[in-house]
Amino acid sequence: MSTPASPVSIELKDIVQEYPNKDGTGVLRVVDGISMTLQPGINMLLGPSGCGKSTILHMMGGVRPIGVQTPTSGTVLIDGQPCVEAHDDAIMVFQRYANRPDLTVEENVAFPFRLSHWRARINESEARRRVDETLAAVGLTGHRKHLPSQLSGGQNQRVALARALVLRPRILLMDEPFGALDAQTRGEMQQLLVQIYEQNPCLVVFVTHDVTEALTLGDRVIVLSTQPAKIADDFAILEPRPRSATWQRSTEAVRMEERILAQLHAASAGRASLRVSV
Amino acid sequence: MAEPTTWNPYAPLSAQTTRMLGIGAVVAVLVLWAIISGSGLVGPNKLPAPWQVAKAFAYLAWDGENQRSLLFTATVWSLGRVLAAGVLVVAIGIPIGVIMGASPKVNAALSPLVDPFRSAPVVALLPIMVMWFGIGEWMKVLFLFIGAVVYLIPMVRDAVRAVPQAYWISARDLGATPFEAVRHAVLPLAMPRIADAVIVGVSVMWTYITVAEYVNAREGLGQLIQNARRFSAMDQVFAGIIVIIAFALLSYQLMRYLKAKMYPWETKL
Repeated sequence: MSTPASPVSIELKDIVQEYPNKDGTGVLRVVDGISMTLQPGINMLLGPSGCGKSTILHMMGGVRPIGVQTPTSGTVLIDGQPCVEAHDDAIMVFQRYANRPDLTVEENVAFPFRLSHWRARINESEARRRVDETLAAVGLTGHRKHLPSQLSGGQNQRVALARALVLRPRILLMDEPFGALDAQTRGEMQQLLVQIYEQNPCLVVFVTHDVTEALTLGDRVIVLSTQPAKIADDFAILEPRPRSATWQRSTEAVRMEERILAQLHAASAGRASLRVSV
Repeated sequence: MAEPTTWNPYAPLSAQTTRMLGIGAVVAVLVLWAIISGSGLVGPNKLPAPWQVAKAFAYLAWDGENQRSLLFTATVWSLGRVLAAGVLVVAIGIPIGVIMGASPKVNAALSPLVDPFRSAPVVALLPIMVMWFGIGEWMKVLFLFIGAVVYLIPMVRDAVRAVPQAYWISARDLGATPFEAVRHAVLPLAMPRIADAVIVGVSVMWTYITVAEYVNAREGLGQLIQNARRFSAMDQVFAGIIVIIAFALLSYQLMRYLKAKMYPWETKL
């Protein structure tokens, strides 16, 4: 898993997303003219709950909403090629792990290889090798025969992460993956993600509404305003990971936090709700 | 301040208490039954006494004079019909329900044809079925099939639709075709509730077996009851009903047990 990341880029151009109103009288604008270019690294999409950041994430090679044209206007390019649907190189990880309760940990991780798409591309021995390797990487080797119901929330999320990693995606789309975990487990999962990323750098897009999480993980933090989402701020964090608690309390980090909150308040006129975890 | 015996719907009940209360209720009914029939308040041609029913049961179970067991033959026939109809219900009903659950369009088209029959008197279809399929074995099996499948199809459909969309989205994101997403992500999660639908379907068939065997049956528990009624042998009617209830209960418990074995993860979703 130490091959250097092949260069990959995601480019959004003037993305607008509108959904028809519930009463059918008009449209609700969720995303309002967003343009950005993402490079390999951990890219944090930070914004208040329900601001449309998930919608943006789904456009970056994930599964698009059903029955609504996504995006309403604008283009998404992956490696310069227009992307109009779920992309092979982009795998999503959700807050709800979507593990099959009837399959063991290793069967869940090997799940993609049940699908004709991957069976045609990856032979059985290679698949088995990857499953072993990925289980080790997420620290679940000892649980491979267990069922999801025998695991904790954090371990279940490790299974979901492993199921994505086993495909060696060049793009990892994470939709508030650790949002449902308790603070301690969330910290462990963040560490794990950093560790996995360092071993095999790729393009991570990580959606969160947790300022602390954004500062802990991100190479780059893109702050989105509340609905309709616009880019309120966009900056890089150069501090190397893992970022110590001391750094989290440093003037630099505290300033960043204040800057994010100030930007958000300016952009959303106080309607935003963000979390700053302790 | 709280008394330990305060009524609380969520208080757990020990297995022993549950068993005692259940057995107690059955015994109470038996005692009441014995008192009413034993006191002569109600005639034996209306309500036979428990011991008369027991005697009738013994006769039906083994008729020494003619060296035969009426009950055994009747049960085998009824069981066979329920099984045959059950195979049809599973083989036809489950695929239809799954397709309806997986395709909103198919569901929109088929649900007006299927859903109303859940509350319609399927028994009223019997004369029509006799006209179409005659009075032979096919009619009986098809009647049981229709009676059960109209319950099963909507339940299977709802079981599929109840699976959280996250499983579908996740599978599609991993590169599953729509068929694969249903086959590998949605259907496995719907299986416990589909098993529930089968259990309901079989239970419904046990309630319809007497009706199915109403017309021109030479063998079967329903026919046995029908025949006994014609000769005003109320004790045999009661014995027959009890056997049907016992079989319905037995198959229900067996299916529940099998389901728990097959889907031990169900309650932990």
